[in-house]
Order: sequence, then structure tokens, then C-alpha cells
Amino acid sequence: MKPVRWSLTARLTALYTLVAALVMAGLGGLVSVVVNRHFVELDRDYLADKLRLVQQIAGESPSRALLAERLDALLASHQGLFVELRQDGVPVYGAQAPVFQTAPALPGPDQNPLDWPVDGRTLRGLAASSPAPAALGGGPALQWRLALDTVHHSHFMGALHRSLALYLLGGVLLSGLLGWWAARRGLQPLRLMKERASAVTAQKLDQRMPVASVPVEFADLAASLNAMLERLQGDVQRLQAFSSDLAHELRTPLNNLLTQTQVSLAQPRTPREYQDILASNAEEFQRLARMVSDMLFLAKTDHGLELPRRERIDLREAVQSLFDFYDAVAEERQVGLRLHGHARVTGDRLMLRRAISNLLSNALRHAPAGSTVAVDLSAQGDAVQLCVRNGGPGIDPALLPRLFDRFFRADPSRQHGDADGTGLGLSITQAIMAAHGGQVSVQSVPGETVFCLRFPAGGGG
Amino acid sequence: MKILIVEDEPKAGDYLQQGLREAGFAVELVHNGVDGLHLALGGDHDLLILDVMLPGLDGWSVLRRLRAAGRTVPVLFLTARDAVEDRVQGLELGADDYLVKPFSFAELLARVRTILRRGRSALEATSIRVADLELDLLRRRVTRAGRRIDLTAKEFGLLELLMRRHGEVLPRSLIASQVWDVNFDSDTNVIEVAMRRLRAKVDDGFEPRLIQTVRGMGYVLEAPEGMR
Repeated sequence: MKPVRWSLTARLTALYTLVAALVMAGLGGLVSVVVNRHFVELDRDYLADKLRLVQQIAGESPSRALLAERLDALLASHQGLFVELRQDGVPVYGAQAPVFQTAPALPGPDQNPLDWPVDGRTLRGLAASSPAPAALGGGPALQWRLALDTVHHSHFMGALHRSLALYLLGGVLLSGLLGWWAARRGLQPLRLMKERASAVTAQKLDQRMPVASVPVEFADLAASLNAMLERLQGDVQRLQAFSSDLAHELRTPLNNLLTQTQVSLAQPRTPREYQDILASNAEEFQRLARMVSDMLFLAKTDHGLELPRRERIDLREAVQSLFDFYDAVAEERQVGLRLHGHARVTGDRLMLRRAISNLLSNALRHAPAGSTVAVDLSAQGDAVQLCVRNGGPGIDPALLPRLFDRFFRADPSRQHGDADGTGLGLSITQAIMAAHGGQVSVQSVPGETVFCLRFPAGGGG
Repeated sequence: MKILIVEDEPKAGDYLQQGLREAGFAVELVHNGVDGLHLALGGDHDLLILDVMLPGLDGWSVLRRLRAAGRTVPVLFLTARDAVEDRVQGLELGADDYLVKPFSFAELLARVRTILRRGRSALEATSIRVADLELDLLRRRVTRAGRRIDLTAKEFGLLELLMRRHGEVLPRSLIASQVWDVNFDSDTNVIEVAMRRLRAKVDDGFEPRLIQTVRGMGYVLEAPEGMR
């Protein structure tokens, strides 16, 4: 069976109602007990008072007949009062009264009287003994039993209980209603937030939760949600910019390919011409394929996937082997390659070599002839830094923040050079560093540009 | 050499078949996994080129059943997905190589030849000769028409690769991977520069020119007809 899911309002209302019912029922019970006890005390005093009275009558009566007569008169004027008198177990007065036949052993006048039922009524009584007065012939002590019909109390208690029950019912209903209203009112900010949240879409990420106008309990939640929206908005904007860049980047080569192919098809050409066209197309296709795999690499790395492999890597060795790779290019451009220092990090060998390779390629491209590209390795404890510096005019400070953006090229004239990359190299380096828990930074002044890879101590690297 | 291609995409399959046929292989092409498995079990192929995503029976299953039947024919996987798990699964199942689409045909051809060469215990030659160019592997010395040519270590490695696989077009990516162990693309035209420098040493002042650029494909070291 599916468990019933209660709304918060219903839960709060039920809780309020339950608490109110418990409190009021307790109060009603207390009142009832106190009133009853008060009645018992009253009856005790009343019975003790009547006991003194009948003992006095007994003391003043000259004969048993007269005593009976006087007691009859007394009982006639006291509705609900019963008296029984025995002397040495022998009935003297009122022994026929049926109320005493089922009575328990009754306490004395200094204690609370005892109750017992008779014919649906409740009798309350006490017992006492007194010396037999001389006028009645002396002899053994007199035994008195007095009882009082409590029917008038029962009437009163019944009325009281009915009133209490009515009040309890009304009170519970009212507090339930108030509880429901309070819960609804208290949860109002939540509904407001819900409305705001349902207005949020990918196109309308500028919606924010109200923070100042909601109670403190909700303000934290609202602030957290706002922070989340902020991040999402940033991500979506980057994603949108990326997809439009991507579309643009793909459109240009696709357009070239299409135009070139259709122009070629428009007329018969020599095999040599066809070969040239196809070769040119193949080059363009390779660039496109490379762009796609670079972007896939970025997407995977951005997903924060586990590093494919983790091993200790001697950065000096890695840089040296890349120097071997770039050696011919450096020599042709008359740029020297220099390596300083030692450092080791933990990471994925292929990815780290790729990150460094991108920086070297970048540095070589911008280093003027006759200058040197220098790689400095330094380690402070576990924290490792690899810096690649090259000479040259430096990068326009206004462009520095966008340098690691995808498809960003500092020099627009190089946009579609054959040998030039996809404009993703530095983004890839950045993504690789992020995957290693490190970061890449750049500083540039006229005459020198420095890119640094930083691996934190004991970090993901 | 007989190659079986199992590829469901008709255009890709046709071009692979044509390309490999023109490279001198006998090629059979089928378009789904069930036919592929059937042919592979009944045939005597030297190599299987298997697409991973196939209708009927996927590439993994074809390979699994083939190995279960005791067939050790080499398998080269083609896939559109470049996931590490895929690569690992393929290699665990006993695939011999793995290419992610889009790949260049030159790359495929080079890998196919590498796999087919693996089986044969090639005699460890101490020298390789193409036309009048001679590579002495023991003394690491290069001569052309009797004249000594000085090469750096990497240039020697590059020339060794070209000569060992003379007549084959080698794509840039394969050269970077084999000579420099660089298994990723570089923004810089490193291979072009290295080839240009090697060619200046090996070909300048000699006839005929042995190292050729095949535009859009890569490089080949080849003696012209009649000089082989």
C-alpha cells in the first residue's frame, strides 16, 4: 500500500489540534476532579454536622419514642438524608431503611465519607458511636450511621461534564482552524518561492528568489537557490556562447568545402585538378575531424571524469621529450629551447604532455627569431609549478581574460591558417589542469609572456 | 591478404572496401553482425574490420563468439564513441586495434598493415635499402649513392620508419606517434618541418627524390617505377 503523503499544512494543523485537545482534556479532567473532591469535603462537613445534631437530639430525648419522632421530623426537613441508630447491634431507629443494607464498613466523621450504590443512586455515608445518654436508659454505646443521597451532585457534575465537553470540542475545532491558518500563512513564502521557481526556464534564468522578504528560516534556502541559479545561468550562457561559436567555426570550413566541391563539379576538369581539389578537401576535413575530437575531449574533461591513469611523472623528462618533438620547428624559426629545474607530479601522462605541448606550441609561434623559449620547473613541497616563457610583443591586456575561451584567437588574421590549430589548445590545457586539480595562468608584458601550470600540494594532481 | 569488413553504414563500407581493394587486399563487405559472424566463422580471413554499433549483433558480440569458437583472426574495431571503457572492453575481448571515427583512411591503412605484419616473424634485417638509399641499423648510419648522410637521432628514427614501411603512405598522426610518442595533435606543423629537413638531407642533390608528400594523406618514401 502506498503511504499517505500529508501536506505540511495538514501535518501542522493536525499537530495543533492534537495538542489543543490534550491540553483542554487535561484541564477539564482537573476541574472535574477538584470539584468532586470539594463536594466530598462539603458532604463530610454536612454529615459530621448532622451527626452532632442527631447525637444532641439523642441526648435530649427523654424516651426512645420521642427520639424516633424527633428524628423523623429532622429527616422530613432534610431531603436525601438517612439515619440509622443501633444499640449493641440492636436496631433502635431507621434500621429498616434499605440504603444501609448494602453499605460497606463506614469511616468515622474525621475521615472522608464512603460512597456506595443503591438502586442506581449513590449514597455517601459515615459511622460513629456515642455513649448512651441516661434518658434512654444508659447501657452500651449507641452506633450511628448517616448517609446522604448524592443525586444533586450527580446532576451538577453531569451538567459540568457536558459543558466541559462542549467547550473542549469548540476549542479543539477553533485551534485546529487557527493552526491551519497559521501554517498556511507561515508557508506563504514557500508558495512564493514555488511560483518564482516555476517561472525559471533556460531562457529566463534571471529569476531570483526573494531573500529580504521571507522569514530567516527561508532566507538561507532562498540564498542557496539563488546561488545555484547564478551558477546555472553562467553555465548556460557559456554553453550558448560555445554552441554559437561552434556553429560559426563549423560553418566556415563547411561553406568552403561545399563551394569548392560544387564549383569543381560545374565543369569537367583534368585529373590533376581533381586531385588538387580532393587533397585540399581532405585537409579541410582533417581539420574538422580534429576540431570535433578536440571538442569531445573538452566535453569529457569538463565532465570531471576520473583521470584515465595516475602515475608519477617526471616533468623534466616530459618537457625534454617534447623539446625533441619541437626541436626542428624551433631551429627553423631560430628560437632556442631551454629547460631549468626538476619537478615530479602525479597525473595522466598523455594529458599532461598534451597540456605542456600546447603551451610550447603557443610559445614557439609567438617567439621572435633569435629569442629563447624557456621552461622553468619549480617545486615547493608538493606544490609544483611549470612556467613557459617567451619573448615577443606580449598580449594585449584586454585580451588576457578571454585567452582560455574556446575558439578564441588573439590574432584574428591567423583565423584559418592551415597549420594553425582549432583555437582550442589553451582551453584544452585549462581543462586538463582542472582535471588535475591545478590551474593555468598567464602574465604578459611587452617583451615577455609567461604561462604557468600550477599543481597544488597533495591536490588532485 | 583477405580482409572482411563488417560495417552497417553503406557509404563508409563501400569506401573502405574500395580503398583496401586498391591497396591490394581481397575484401569482403557485409552490413550486419549476423552475416559478419557467419562469414568470419566459415572463412579464412587474415583480418576483420568490425564496426561496434551493428544491427542484429553488435561488434563486441561478434568478437566474443568468434573467440569462443576458437578463431584467432586479428580484429580491428571501428567506433564512433571514444570512451575509455569501450577501448578497454575491446582490448579485453581480444581486439588487436581500435580506431575512433572520424579517422583518416591513411591511418586505417597503416594500422591494417601493422596488424598484418605482426603475425609474420620478420627477419631482423640489419640494413634496409630503397633505390640507392641505404640504412644501416647496426651502425646507425645512412648512405645514399655511397655518400654518407649525417642525421640526428630523431631524423634517423623518422627515416627508419619511412624505409621500413616504404611504399606506404604514412599519416602525420602515425609518424608523430611512432617517432616522438606524441599521441595527440599539435597546433604546430612539426611533422612538415621535420620532413622538410629530412628531405633536404636525403633528397637534395640526388635523383630521384624518394620522399614524397601525398597531399591530404601524409608522406611516403618510394622509389619511382623501374628503380625498384
